Amino acid sequence: MKIGKTMLIELKNSWKGYVLFILVVVLLVGGFVHAYPSFSEAFDDELDGSENVDVEVLKGKENITVRLSWQVIDKAENYSILISETSNMMAPLDRVEDIRTKSHNYSLQYDEDDEMPERYFAVVAVRDDGERELVGIETNFERKTAFQEIWGVDYGDIQGFLSILWSSWWILLIGLYIGYISSNVITKDYEEDRMDVILSKPISRRQYFLEKFLVVSFYTLALLVIVGLILIGSIYSVGELNSVSSSALMISSILSWPVFLVMISVSVFAGVYLESSRKAVGISFIFILIQYGINMVGDMAEGLEYLKPYTIINYWDYESALYGEAVGVLDVAFLLVLSALLVILSLVMFDRKDIPV
Amino acid sequence: MENEAVMKMRGLTKKYGDVVGIKDLDLDVYEGEIMGFLGPNGAGKTTTIRTCLGLLRKTSGDVRIFGLDSHEDSIEIRRRTGYLPGDFGMYPNLKVKTILKYLLSQSGVSDDSRMNELAERLELDLSRKYGNLSKGNKQKVGLVQAFMADQDLIIMDEPTSGLDPLMQQKCYELLREEKSKGKTIFMSSHILAEVEEVCDRVAIIRNAELQVVEEIESLKEKMGKKLEIEFEDSVDPSFFAMEGVEDFEMDGRKATMIVTSNLDEVIKKISKQNVINMSLETFSLEQLFLTYYSHGGKGE
Repeated sequence: MKIGKTMLIELKNSWKGYVLFILVVVLLVGGFVHAYPSFSEAFDDELDGSENVDVEVLKGKENITVRLSWQVIDKAENYSILISETSNMMAPLDRVEDIRTKSHNYSLQYDEDDEMPERYFAVVAVRDDGERELVGIETNFERKTAFQEIWGVDYGDIQGFLSILWSSWWILLIGLYIGYISSNVITKDYEEDRMDVILSKPISRRQYFLEKFLVVSFYTLALLVIVGLILIGSIYSVGELNSVSSSALMISSILSWPVFLVMISVSVFAGVYLESSRKAVGISFIFILIQYGINMVGDMAEGLEYLKPYTIINYWDYESALYGEAVGVLDVAFLLVLSALLVILSLVMFDRKDIPV
Repeated sequence: MENEAVMKMRGLTKKYGDVVGIKDLDLDVYEGEIMGFLGPNGAGKTTTIRTCLGLLRKTSGDVRIFGLDSHEDSIEIRRRTGYLPGDFGMYPNLKVKTILKYLLSQSGVSDDSRMNELAERLELDLSRKYGNLSKGNKQKVGLVQAFMADQDLIIMDEPTSGLDPLMQQKCYELLREEKSKGKTIFMSSHILAEVEEVCDRVAIIRNAELQVVEEIESLKEKMGKKLEIEFEDSVDPSFFAMEGVEDFEMDGRKATMIVTSNLDEVIKKISKQNVINMSLETFSLEQLFLTYYSHGGKGE
């Protein structure tokens, strides 16, 4: 009986802040997704004139033939080919000059046993006035983006893009706000002198506590569902919904819930223990920032990866979920159990303590 | 009182670490009475009330309300008890009506007619936001919520604090009405006139210990009455040297004395003199209170 009244009054009291934050998140998430096409282009550094040059690798028994063919250039007297390990064609490994061919192709022989190493081939036309003109550059392998070369992963696609946003600051933004409201959800009742009246009504402290915890938890879930919807909508509007499934977007958003549940539990625990919203917010923010920091450092610095198991963020693989890969059930379970333990601990503490005046 | 004890405290002790909040309290509050709980600030009034309601955990002793254990059966007790805390606060962003309906539903009551009636009597505008109310109006919200669920026991911690004298009177009226309906009221106060006006009995607490529990009438009787007379001529003090007269003082033609008994004899004696003016005053609790405390809490 009377279940949900405490949740309802909390919602009535705080809905403006809740809605405002949802609006902020909607604008930011939608806005960022709309920045994706230009972001993606920035990393899509296509080779100059690669559409003009074709590279074909033919494996023979004892050697490898690389067959280059290219577009006709007006007034070209002859062509030359440069071979390099880098796309800027600096310090070419090899060059073939004065190729006079009407069929605009040329074959290079390599005495490689198995694999042809990764090479860039530039075809340059030499015009009759002596001026040189680039026909195009092409490779014998599938190129990585600049991002891939730096991080070893492709962040140029929409999944990579979203997971950078997730780990670099959505988790921080949502985490801090959720931490803030969770720290306040019980302590404000102390500080605004209403705990005595509320607990003088026939409601158990446990029920009161759980309703407070659940109101923030459900709000967070609703927020994540909205984030999922906004992602689907805005990714659709930038025409990228063919590269990521909308169910993966929604599932990855919703399954981020357990990470936030742990943050909520820590914050509520701090509130019950410290009985002061200011102190609880402090502890909550420190906890979330440390988690975030460890995750960041563990991601970036090689040799510090051993730190990552110590952050809850590590137990949720947002990126894999975006790619539609199976979710680590044990990891999610770990987060849920951790959150449940903190809730039980807070409950026992709250049930036994003197209500401060 | 022959009625049953609604609240029964036995050896009730509450310590905050080394600090003693209340010590070894034995107190009964009977059905249908208004019990005043008097004491200076910090004496332990609020601690007693909050321990009874289970908001504080008792260190030792026993509290039974409606025969139920204050900690084990706390929810059942709270179902039947209205409470107004000393520092009453609520959600500042919400309308008074929203708040009161929420509290009412928490008590398991869906009918809000009594809530509306009380608000009307106390001239409380339910459509206003709680945060915009004056201190007095906030206190009215507290009063309404304490009475609205029509419970058997009402516990109040300084109910009239912040109210203007007119509203204080309305509050006393309410208290007397509840009593006439058979409700039990336990209220703390440091305003003696208030206790004097509405309470049947008074318990006085000082330095965490209960000093006295007494019916107000008998307490006053014990204390006597203050008599002031202006005579036409000065009177010799020996004239009033008789049983039941204490603290006789003569200041010119004005005499003051305390009459504890034998009032008839005293009046007859006065009538033998030419009297210009005379007043007979019942001792106020104020003076009574001071007597208790000036005697190191032991009273007479």
